[in-house]
Amino acid sequence: MRQLLMIALLAATLPASTLARAQAARTPAPPNAVVYIIWPSNGTVIDGGRFWLRMGLRNMGVAPKGVKMANVGHHHLLVDTELPAMDQQIPNDRNHLHFGAGETEARIELPPGKHTLQLLLGDQDHVPHEPPIYSGRITVTVR
Amino acid sequence: MHRRLFMAAIAGAAAAAAGAGHAGETPSAPDTWLYIGWPQDGSTVTANKPFRVWFGLRNMGIAPKGVKYPNTGHHHLLIDVGLPPLDQEIPSDRNHLHFGAGETETMLELSPGRHTLQLLMGDDRHIPHNPPVASKKITVVAK
Repeated sequence: MRQLLMIALLAATLPASTLARAQAARTPAPPNAVVYIIWPSNGTVIDGGRFWLRMGLRNMGVAPKGVKMANVGHHHLLVDTELPAMDQQIPNDRNHLHFGAGETEARIELPPGKHTLQLLLGDQDHVPHEPPIYSGRITVTVR
Repeated sequence: MHRRLFMAAIAGAAAAAAGAGHAGETPSAPDTWLYIGWPQDGSTVTANKPFRVWFGLRNMGIAPKGVKYPNTGHHHLLIDVGLPPLDQEIPSDRNHLHFGAGETETMLELSPGRHTLQLLMGDDRHIPHNPPVASKKITVVAK
């Protein structure tokens, strides 16, 4: 039974990823591009859980969504989640925040506890670049 | 003689103040905050050696030159110079660096001595917004 379920799952996921890869003409990024979280730093304890996130980008520029230009992208913040599929649109939900208006800072509010934060750059269609540009994943604690 | 000079200075200041009343046509949000994240005001840097300057912008987004998108602009770094006329295209020379590719940080090298740094946002045509979005002018000493 378990094996059957696994095969069914595999069958369900396979065509989707093949399809996405077939469409993929991912936007190139310069190999030396770096995205990073300026603030908070890893291990920061945040009282109250409300803070301004500062997003840093090196050797590349910021452009709003929908803008097709060389060497630009816009920030996405991954909260308490892993990196998504790199050949598809970055999901848009409470764990994947889009900054499609070209923001480089954002007001974030998190409930008490430990949280992970990670930045991932997306192109004009919210798809990660080739190579994908993402930051290290940091942990912050809200109390 | 002194007095005449003084009067001339007042007239000059009045003219500058009147000039500052002008602005471009692209609106900016009143709560926008532009600042130099690094270096800090009054800090010392090593002369003739590149150091990183990062640009902070709150409640506004980044768009490269030529891109018209609501509540965005691109950074200009003014070095050793006052604010230019705020209703015209920001000059492009060694005292006025343009970041029209949507950059949010840069490497800068300064000759020995005191220097001032200030950020000024420009719209898709490099003209300051209305009201203009400028950072505090900071001083750094290159040694």
